[in-house]
Amino acid sequence: MIELQGLTKRYGDTRVVDDISLTVEQGEFCVLIGPSGCGKSTTLKMINRLIAHSEGKILVGGDDITTLPPERLRRRIGYAIQSIGLFPHWRVADNIATVPRLLKWPSSRIAARVDELLALFQLDADGLHDKYPHQLSGGQAQRVGVARALAADPDVLLMDEPFGAVDPLTRDTLQAELARVHRQTGKTIVFVTHDMDEALRLASRVALLNAGQLVQYDRPAELLVAPANDFVRDFIGRADLGLKLLSRRRVEEYCRPAQRTRNNAIASAPITWQVDADDRPMALLGGRLGESDIARTVVNPEWIATPEMSMKEALSRMVWFRVTALPVLDNEGRLLGEVTMSGVMGHRS
Amino acid sequence: MSVSALSRAPSSRRVLLIALSTLLIALVLGMEQLAPLFRALFPDQDPAMYQRESFLNLTLAHLALVLVSSLISVSVGVAAGLFVTRPAGREFEPLVSTLAAIGQTFPPAAVLAIVVPVAGFGFVPTLVALVLYGLLPVVQNTVAGLGTVPAQTLEAARGNGMSAWQILWRIELPLAMRVIIAGVRVSVIINIGTATIGSTVGAKTLGTPIIAGLVGNNLPYVIQGAVLVGLLAIVTDLAFERLEQRFSFGASGAAS
Repeated sequence: MIELQGLTKRYGDTRVVDDISLTVEQGEFCVLIGPSGCGKSTTLKMINRLIAHSEGKILVGGDDITTLPPERLRRRIGYAIQSIGLFPHWRVADNIATVPRLLKWPSSRIAARVDELLALFQLDADGLHDKYPHQLSGGQAQRVGVARALAADPDVLLMDEPFGAVDPLTRDTLQAELARVHRQTGKTIVFVTHDMDEALRLASRVALLNAGQLVQYDRPAELLVAPANDFVRDFIGRADLGLKLLSRRRVEEYCRPAQRTRNNAIASAPITWQVDADDRPMALLGGRLGESDIARTVVNPEWIATPEMSMKEALSRMVWFRVTALPVLDNEGRLLGEVTMSGVMGHRS
Repeated sequence: MSVSALSRAPSSRRVLLIALSTLLIALVLGMEQLAPLFRALFPDQDPAMYQRESFLNLTLAHLALVLVSSLISVSVGVAAGLFVTRPAGREFEPLVSTLAAIGQTFPPAAVLAIVVPVAGFGFVPTLVALVLYGLLPVVQNTVAGLGTVPAQTLEAARGNGMSAWQILWRIELPLAMRVIIAGVRVSVIINIGTATIGSTVGAKTLGTPIIAGLVGNNLPYVIQGAVLVGLLAIVTDLAFERLEQRFSFGASGAAS
């Protein structure tokens, strides 16, 4: 758990961080976001004392950070920055082992921990263990950076725009991986970014900063539906607010019972699913844009939805395949229910 | 250090290093065997072979002078470079750079002229001149080498909980080592050549036959001393080149 109390950083008369108070609960994924120069990076670096704060208090796990020697504090807190932060003269395994070595773990324990982390980040193939940073791809180097931050199993992880220097496709993969690692390890993460989509995708809480002040600290959905002021609304981006909101929602929240039939007959409901003996959907009766209600559309493996899928993706599939409903399938391909175009509109959070 | 860093060194340079070292050792030990050759080339010169001192003794004395002066230059130079790149010593950087530069603008002969009245003839004044002369490249390259360590690498080191000493020993020095060694290389090569001047104030070096040859108008003496000094400098340079390559990491190493 991290607590910032009235945190302020002054350079001369300028207050780059101005009286910020917030609490990051155990296991929370807190994203600090804002325009450049808003003080988000400074706030992050004050937590591990890379920058000394001027006023206020920072508690990590209940301890005031100024009561610990800075090196001891930093070994307790994982720290990941852009990939260039890897030590170029050390192999991947040595880079990951940085903090355990500083903590003087026995070498067998270090080796086991390195292997464990390589596996966690799917870096155990291709003999990556002994490669040097310049031999890695951007995505691999970034994974090594995060693995290094996690090496000594810290409760808290600080990440300063860790995916800023990789291409969009790799960033997407890395975000998914970080979300998985967060779920698996339950670490408390404080993450700095200027990319709202990244924030909405990863955060359990978003702290929006402007000119050194905390504008809003809330769950991502609250930020979208109840922005504190026009600055928040503008920063999130008014244009695709609806889509952003849907990207935070999962299909299961919108899933409704489906009307089923075993034969070709048209049922009473406007949208009916024809299913086989195992309850697997074979065709959609009706529900096709621009065609009559009796149109029969064979279920295509591309236009199905799963409970974990984001509503944004489900909606996108509906638009692309010109249908007004998608079947929601479980792992065995059985029909759980349906999501519909009108259901997307009707759901209020 | 990566295995590929070694294999990147072109093998022809390695063959050259081995060949020239062998030639150097052969000449140092067996220069006397070439006496008939020198007599044939310079029939008017008698003697045509420098014999007042063995070339092995001259070479060892020359090496001792270069080694001691380089050790002092390198320790003082690296220490000064480290000092002015630490937070406490940063304000002394211009002063130290200027002092080192003055040391090099002084001609070694002038240094000898100043030191001899104080320290007498022989080894010591030559040593002082060489130390002053060799300081600048070491200081300059130490400062430059430490400056090449990326700020983000240092931030990562600090953020992962390394102390200032650990950052210096584990991160900064290894990463700056290639540039520092390049400075040492220049310093040592300069000193191998400059040490010959020490013979004018009575230090025993490979410059002794050269000076004797110049004074006595004996060209074979000059050639015998100059060939050995030249070979020694080239062999040392090639050896340093290999040493530098051991410390190339990342892009700079991949490019070589």
